[in-house]
Amino acid sequence: MPARQPQFNPGPAAPAAAVSRRGFLRTSAVVTAGLAALAASLKPLLEMNDFPTLERFMQKYYKELTPEEMERVLKRIETEVERQYGIRPHVRDLKPRDGVEFVYCLNLTRCIGCRKCVHACVAENNQSRNPEIQYIRVLRLPHGSLDIEKAEHNYAPDLVPEKGYFYMPVQCQQCKNPPCVKVCPVHATWQEADGITVIDYDWCIGCRYCEAACPYWARRFNFTKPSIPRERLNPDMAYLGNRPRRQGVMEKCHFCIQRTRAGRYPACLEVCPTGARKFGNILDPNSEVSYILKNKRVFIQLKEELGTSPRFFYYFDV
Amino acid sequence: MRRAIRNYLVFLGRCARIAFVGDWRYYAWMGVLTVICLLGLHAYARQFAQGLIVTGMSDEVSWGVYIANFTFLVGVAAAAVMMVIPVYIYNNEELHDLVIFGELLAVAAILMCLAFVTVDLGRPDRFWHLIPGIGQFNFPASMLSWDVIVLNGYLLLNVHICGYLLYCRYRKTKPGKWFYIPFVFIAIIWAVSIHTVTAFLYVGLGGRPFWNSAIVGPRFLASAFTAGPALIILAMQVVRRVTASGPAGGASRLPGDTVAPQRPTSRAATLDDLDLLGRNLPELASVSIEARQKILAGATILEVNAGDVVLRQGETDEKAFFILKGRVVVKREESGRFRITRSVGPGEQFGEISALAGTPRMATAIAEEPACLLRLSADALRKLMKDAPMNKVIRSRMSERLMITDRALMTLRSIVQVSMLINVFLLLNEVFKEFYSGNLHVASSKYLYVGLHGHHALVPWIWTAIAFNLVAMVLLVLPVSRSLRWLNFTCVLCIVGIWIEKGMGLVIPGFIPTPLGEMVEYRPSLNETLVCFGIWSFGLLCYTVFLRMSVPILQGRLCKANEGLPESATGAAALGAAVEP
Repeated sequence: MPARQPQFNPGPAAPAAAVSRRGFLRTSAVVTAGLAALAASLKPLLEMNDFPTLERFMQKYYKELTPEEMERVLKRIETEVERQYGIRPHVRDLKPRDGVEFVYCLNLTRCIGCRKCVHACVAENNQSRNPEIQYIRVLRLPHGSLDIEKAEHNYAPDLVPEKGYFYMPVQCQQCKNPPCVKVCPVHATWQEADGITVIDYDWCIGCRYCEAACPYWARRFNFTKPSIPRERLNPDMAYLGNRPRRQGVMEKCHFCIQRTRAGRYPACLEVCPTGARKFGNILDPNSEVSYILKNKRVFIQLKEELGTSPRFFYYFDV
Repeated sequence: MRRAIRNYLVFLGRCARIAFVGDWRYYAWMGVLTVICLLGLHAYARQFAQGLIVTGMSDEVSWGVYIANFTFLVGVAAAAVMMVIPVYIYNNEELHDLVIFGELLAVAAILMCLAFVTVDLGRPDRFWHLIPGIGQFNFPASMLSWDVIVLNGYLLLNVHICGYLLYCRYRKTKPGKWFYIPFVFIAIIWAVSIHTVTAFLYVGLGGRPFWNSAIVGPRFLASAFTAGPALIILAMQVVRRVTASGPAGGASRLPGDTVAPQRPTSRAATLDDLDLLGRNLPELASVSIEARQKILAGATILEVNAGDVVLRQGETDEKAFFILKGRVVVKREESGRFRITRSVGPGEQFGEISALAGTPRMATAIAEEPACLLRLSADALRKLMKDAPMNKVIRSRMSERLMITDRALMTLRSIVQVSMLINVFLLLNEVFKEFYSGNLHVASSKYLYVGLHGHHALVPWIWTAIAFNLVAMVLLVLPVSRSLRWLNFTCVLCIVGIWIEKGMGLVIPGFIPTPLGEMVEYRPSLNETLVCFGIWSFGLLCYTVFLRMSVPILQGRLCKANEGLPESATGAAALGAAVEP
């Protein structure tokens, strides 16, 4: 750019040079100080919890990965987990099966509020122990009311069940019309053919809009890098399920996708000492859940009036 | 083409350079803002490394003061552009120059909004997932994807409008209507849409009864129209202050009086003088010799020295002036201060408005350097304006003056006044519906206004906001707010009141109690607060720089004509004390 030089004060050359030298020194002092201040303010980045590698930064969206790419990504995740925890996990990408739609039924008459399901879930799904993340919240309600604003979350008696109360465990309701899926700006969460709403942990941008949208408070955010004791790591993992999450992404109950899509029951069901939890394929007329929904007289979909149409049913033995 | 690009780059370069030129107050202000910005950046670097755990947010209250500020600022951005309506639809000339300042405020506000959303993200490194085409964009289902579109679109629209108008003013060409008027109208509709979409972010969530109310959208607009113009009223007075050349102690403080004025020499004007003027005023070429002779009857040439007062504010004489050579500065006294309205050079005119209207002079004109002026009677000027090209150039110059008049501020005051009344009314509607029906969903409102189950962190805040809003409303209705001092106080009340009411007062209670009825309160952490201060400083820094660039352009001190001169020599640097005698 041929800028016109200003022809002002064409005086002797020496003073002009002195002025410009002083100006130059001053400018460079200001610029140096500025850069130093900038560097100092960026210093905390050195203690980065989770620096994204180029490969992870560029990773494609789940639905756009070809089978070969998925193969490579799964191997990479296994290596990363092994490096971090010293255990080589088995990470699979399990697809929904045809003719299957999962439904959960929970017998409120039987639930005794022991919270064994909460802890089995944490162990199965590699949830962060510090800070603590749990997918299941058990509410204690006084008999005669289903107003969950009266619920007690932090009940801690020596012995459950307590007289005058009943217990209602709440987890992701796997809605047919999920508000969380609707609001996600990047399609990082979606509903699969078998009714499970999943999250691509490598695609979520962490805006937490889904957390605001969920009427069941079922979603959890990784406010920092999750920590799991290495001896507690569950090495049987699924891509959309219990593989370890990273800082800054959402997670939630996925009906133990790594188990249920392989023909097993969810961990919370297996551990339940009273048999309050029932799980199965609603499309199979002979399944336990089909029987319950056909024969039990009182069942509840939580916050039914919101039109979310949960696949999680509460019922009573009457 | 290459020449056009070169010219544009020179323009940008000069704008960039001028951002670093100013008096000590300017440097002090920018220095303080930069330091706060860096503190904010430091806090954000911590958050980036360690995660959002360093904020006060939790799974229970998963949005906090970031999103609260975002919501408030979207309103400011929307309202700033709505200033355009009185100008372009009702032709309110008083507000004309405020439009650019309003749009620049909108640009700064949007930049802050984008910063606030970004710092709220858990994975800012994955921002590219949001880019349509290469990412996955959940449009139109997700309201957040709408927000991405409307905010960025709004930013582009306003950058285009301001940039184009300022560049035209810099080149002293008339803006092509088709290059900006359609965009102005799009921006008006867009302004409503950005705030409506932001309201819909909340309104669309059925699981959060506190937000799931149709009145949130209208409330957002009403409160935006209160806080936005209130902010502009304050900002414009700051601009007026710093462009003022010092306190007005009556006419005796004028430079023309401190130096004993020599009597300007005058003589009758000749055709040669008109030819000289024509060199800097090409439109004069179309005026015929006969017309020129008619005009010259009674026209005089004044030779004035630097510092001479050519005409004085408040006087009445029906004379207009054209500059043959030299420069003249035009100052206006208002609210006890002088400020430079503009600086005019060869080929340009001054004094024509009061000459044509026969009204008292609106400003004082002082020669900046020895100058040669053509003085015309109002009649001669009218004859000159019978020629179409001359008429066009004179009229367009008349309309492009930088004037922040008290009347313009009063127009803004009436906008704030009406909006505040509507805002308080809508708030009352909401409160009535919540508390009178008294169903289960009143829990969040109870928490906000009176506290719930022993939790009442927000109660003092919301009542402060309500008190501020009510006091502001009363002051706005009373004539007392016609005085600038009271108006400024009222504006501060409006801004603070609305920031609390629609920021923290709207976002936080939506999460308390949680959908499962748990009470977990929220308090922003120190780190989070620092990030907020950093972003606000960044926004103020941007806005200051925008004003620093646009004010000299609007005043005519930074223009293509004086390209090549160092900024300090053009007087473009003189944004304040530097022009004092």
